Amino acid sequence: MGMNTNGNPVLTTTVEAFEKLINWGRANAVWPFQFGLACCAIEMMATASARFDLARFGAEMMRASPRQSDLMIVAGRVSQKMGPVLRYLYDQMLEPKWVIAMGDCSSCGGVYNNYAVIQGVDKIVPVDVYVAGCPPSPDNLLYGFMKLQEKIAKDHPLRSQKVLKELKTL
Amino acid sequence: MLSEYLSILIYMILASGITLVVIFANKLLGPSRPSARKSAAYESGIKPTGTARERFHIRYHVIAMIFLVFDLEIAFIYPWAVIYKTLGWAGFIEMMIFLGILIIGFLYAWKRGAFTWE
Amino acid sequence: MGSPPILAVLAVIVAKALVVIVVLLTAFAYMTWLERRLISRFQVRIGPNRVGPFGLMQPLADGIKLFFKEDFVPAGADKVLYYLAPGLAMVTAFTAFAVIPFGPPDVQLFGVPLFQISNPNAGILFVLAVTSIGIYGIILGGWSSNSKYSLLGALRSSAQLISYELGVGLAIVGVVLLAGTLQLPEIVKEQSGFFFGFLPRWNIFVQPLGFLLLLIGATAETNRPPFDLPESEQELVAGFHTEYGGMKFAAFFVAEYVNVITASGVATTLFLGGWQGPFVDQFPILGPLWFVVKIFAFAFFFIWIRATLPRIRYDQLMDVGWKLLVPLALLNLAITSVIVLIWPSLGGGS
Repeated sequence: MGMNTNGNPVLTTTVEAFEKLINWGRANAVWPFQFGLACCAIEMMATASARFDLARFGAEMMRASPRQSDLMIVAGRVSQKMGPVLRYLYDQMLEPKWVIAMGDCSSCGGVYNNYAVIQGVDKIVPVDVYVAGCPPSPDNLLYGFMKLQEKIAKDHPLRSQKVLKELKTL
Repeated sequence: MLSEYLSILIYMILASGITLVVIFANKLLGPSRPSARKSAAYESGIKPTGTARERFHIRYHVIAMIFLVFDLEIAFIYPWAVIYKTLGWAGFIEMMIFLGILIIGFLYAWKRGAFTWE
Repeated sequence: MGSPPILAVLAVIVAKALVVIVVLLTAFAYMTWLERRLISRFQVRIGPNRVGPFGLMQPLADGIKLFFKEDFVPAGADKVLYYLAPGLAMVTAFTAFAVIPFGPPDVQLFGVPLFQISNPNAGILFVLAVTSIGIYGIILGGWSSNSKYSLLGALRSSAQLISYELGVGLAIVGVVLLAGTLQLPEIVKEQSGFFFGFLPRWNIFVQPLGFLLLLIGATAETNRPPFDLPESEQELVAGFHTEYGGMKFAAFFVAEYVNVITASGVATTLFLGGWQGPFVDQFPILGPLWFVVKIFAFAFFFIWIRATLPRIRYDQLMDVGWKLLVPLALLNLAITSVIVLIWPSLGGGS
């Protein structure tokens, strides 16, 4: 949606308030896609379990269908064969959607510095948050998740980039 | 009596209004970035093959048929149950004959393996 | 008193309908919250607590997110049916609640009972009929979305629902035999008073088997665990709503939870004395309160068994439905019809 506020202060404030509301909803209801690729998935499960409890952020609703999920946690190394599948799944998710590259392998290839593993999942899907670690402990993932929430809160869902640029030059 | 159904109708119309809002909300409010891959059927990230409207097991058909028979029987049992106290023992015997025939059919279907699901 | 003005009657009917719809929607939202909190507690977790006190704003956040999701129709889908299916599921779920009384029928405004949308003489039969139409929502949703998972999920789901419909239908006949009427307020009224001076005259004490059958059947009818085969993630992704996202998916969710509320309402009305409770005769306004308390007990029970029991296998599901529920329900029907003739005053009433 590209809403043009034309520098009207009342309209701008209203749109900003609405954007804040939408961002608040989106940040607090991020449903992850239920799949894991490698050892990081074990830590991801631990994040959702007792002691760490991803549910506190309203994000324990792991949906098995890409149509119902908002967040893709790439938990583990992505082999060259898995790459196209991952991209297909990402394409099938509905807007808005986010990606967390969990662990060194999915962030940059990690220890698998070879021809069989994609050297960083950002080569095939746009990544929002990178979580370091091999594997990252659940609190690391939680920290990454909170970073993602901060990022979502800064989004402008109602105004296009062009409008925002114009606003800045005003 | 008609007014009872009238209030159900009003209630249904209001519920349908809310439902319409819910169903078409995304069309009005959501972003839209369609692509060929996005609209393809979900098959675990693989390109979908063949038709989705596959042939399915005959057993579903058998279950549906037996259900139809039984559901009709239940539709007969309800009016009987309402006036049962005035019918007395005669009503009891009639219903037991009715149920007896039903149970024979039920046992036959059971024996022929209509409810076995392997 | 002459006949009340027709406009006033209509206004009362519309206001009543609106209030019930809003209350049901709120109840749906907070049942998801309750479920997530309780499941978390059962699993030694904390549950949603970041938005608002005790995470009370969580349903709101979910709702906002779903409202602003992308609209999506799969390629090759039957577009009309694809949009119709969740709507059908939701409308029928709401409609089924219409005949359930949540308070004494004597509380009236302009001659319209306030605590029930409508009281047709078909009563409980209306609930069964409307919930049967709800199955169309599931099978059409699965068939129209042009996905193999959806189709298989829809087939399984409808086979399960029609199998358990029989058990439920036959289990309810026992109560109808005792009451001699299909109208739900009458059935509740006949459960007033006490057995032996202390035990409430609820049908659960007369029809324990029927209550058990209805409870099992209702769990399966509402696709709740351990009977949530239609959406078993390990085999069928998300079952019949695999290809549904955003608010259309939420509509199926609304339907499921409103169906849980309706099933609890039916079980409460038929077996637990509906709105009856202490001091209702003096203060009729307490009726809805007791009703809500009983519904809440059922909701808690449904969540509790979700946290306790593993999902059963599909052949076991069909075995329970056909080889256990239906024969037991027929047995219950036969026994009850004998008892009603031997001991006519048992069910109270006529």
